[in-house]
Amino acid sequence: MVEVEKMGKPAVPIVSGRFEEDAIASARAFAMPDLQFVIVPRIYRNLPHEACIQQTEAVIDDLVHVLTNRDDHKRLSTIETADRHRFEGSDRYDAVLRMNEDFIMRDWGDGFPLAPATREAVDELLQGTCLAPDHLVCDMPPGFGLATVEKIAINAAMAGAKPAHMPVIIAAVEALSKLGSHGGKSLLMSTSCHAPILVVNGPIVQELGLNPGSGLGPGRDNRINIVIGRAFSLCLRNIGYWYPGQMDMDTIGTTRKFVHCLAENEAMSPWEPYHVDKGFKRDENAISIFVTDGELDVQDQGNTTAEGLLKTIAYGCTFGTRSLGERHTSERLIFMPPDVARAVGSQGFGKRGAKAFIHFHANASLGKMIQYMPLEGEARVAANWKWLEKLSEQERLDITVPVLDSADRYDIVVIGADRAKTLVMPSGPSSVTVGIDAYR
Amino acid sequence: MSTLEVLNPVAQQRGALTAMAINPRPASLINKTLGLLWSGTHGGDVALKRAGELLQRRFANLSVNFYAGSGYPITPSIVKQAAKECDVVIGATAD
Repeated sequence: MVEVEKMGKPAVPIVSGRFEEDAIASARAFAMPDLQFVIVPRIYRNLPHEACIQQTEAVIDDLVHVLTNRDDHKRLSTIETADRHRFEGSDRYDAVLRMNEDFIMRDWGDGFPLAPATREAVDELLQGTCLAPDHLVCDMPPGFGLATVEKIAINAAMAGAKPAHMPVIIAAVEALSKLGSHGGKSLLMSTSCHAPILVVNGPIVQELGLNPGSGLGPGRDNRINIVIGRAFSLCLRNIGYWYPGQMDMDTIGTTRKFVHCLAENEAMSPWEPYHVDKGFKRDENAISIFVTDGELDVQDQGNTTAEGLLKTIAYGCTFGTRSLGERHTSERLIFMPPDVARAVGSQGFGKRGAKAFIHFHANASLGKMIQYMPLEGEARVAANWKWLEKLSEQERLDITVPVLDSADRYDIVVIGADRAKTLVMPSGPSSVTVGIDAYR
Repeated sequence: MSTLEVLNPVAQQRGALTAMAINPRPASLINKTLGLLWSGTHGGDVALKRAGELLQRRFANLSVNFYAGSGYPITPSIVKQAAKECDVVIGATAD
């Protein structure tokens, strides 16, 4: 609708249910802050036909009003623009508590205590990068806030980051903006629980103390993983405007939105590191960003052959749905532990060969993968899939297809401790890898 | 008493720098063309077509064009076509 208005014609969306705040935030982000809309109570997608009709009929007067009314349509912005905030307390601890209460109520935090981003703390972080504070790294999706180095440092300070972490955090912010489809904007704003996850490669892993072992979770050993991930999360929130209920519209949500930063276990991998696959040298530092929407622990209880281990993973890759659009762009991110990777690598499989083997064996019932979506009257069904409408449900169930389009849709990153427990995550759009060293 | 001063973590948005005003509205939809721009989600087409019917009853000689792309989301060329051919456009959004 914003695009239509930009082309010179009045345009009004009928906005469903809990999306009012999202509509306002999106209109602002996409440079049409006064875009008019009407609100119906429920999301149309799963409503019976009659309910769709009834709730539309109820807003016809509203629709006429915003299509024909010449009143001043200005919507006041509620964005806080003050450069600094002051908090008075009985002592410093009390002032920090008041700052936390205020920031969390503004939704500027993640619910956990925030460190105060004082001028001094931010200046210290700025020493960790060669970039000037006012250097614009990118417009950060989904709300396209201006990600200057200083704004990144402020959010990093609130997360408890150190100066040495800054180049990694800056590279992560840049990587997000380079994801396909406007930085993954649509996925970030989806009602599904898409969330970014970060993986660092290179000598900086050891320098910073990132944990390449059991690195995805809480605890002392994951302190650096957590802090860098949290700094990125706060940037995504306060620079990218990824606020719940505004531009993050998850139905239930996911703990993966406490974004985590991992490191590849290069020392325990039989293959070239992930960033080398992406064109970097082994001794360069890089960060990769993936967007995932789920995770599955794929356990192997005793296979020792490469084929056996990979078939276990292939089966683990078969969960999820399949698009019937013109392109099926789903991917799978495979965090493969050393106990699997070394066995597979030592038995003659390169990484490409392992991905091809998984792709060959990762097949599933087409009918089951498309059960989530009635085919009739659905624009997501491309012309080349229309023939499915003529089949019975059983005929659809009996068709077996690869779950992904090609072996290239699988990413393998070697991560983890001893034990053959692989983590498989539905993912996409394709990952982006950005160098870190230019920001040191 | 202790005073704590911290920096604002919230960035300015690109959209705030390039913001545009909405277009002037027609006084009436009589003799106008209304575009129904379907994003492709279930139920949205039902809503838009019903809205089109009701608006046609209310405004004389209101033409209604329904636009749907060949996929999801709707393609930019369809959006452009709707903007070109219609005086006002409505859509049904939100998932």
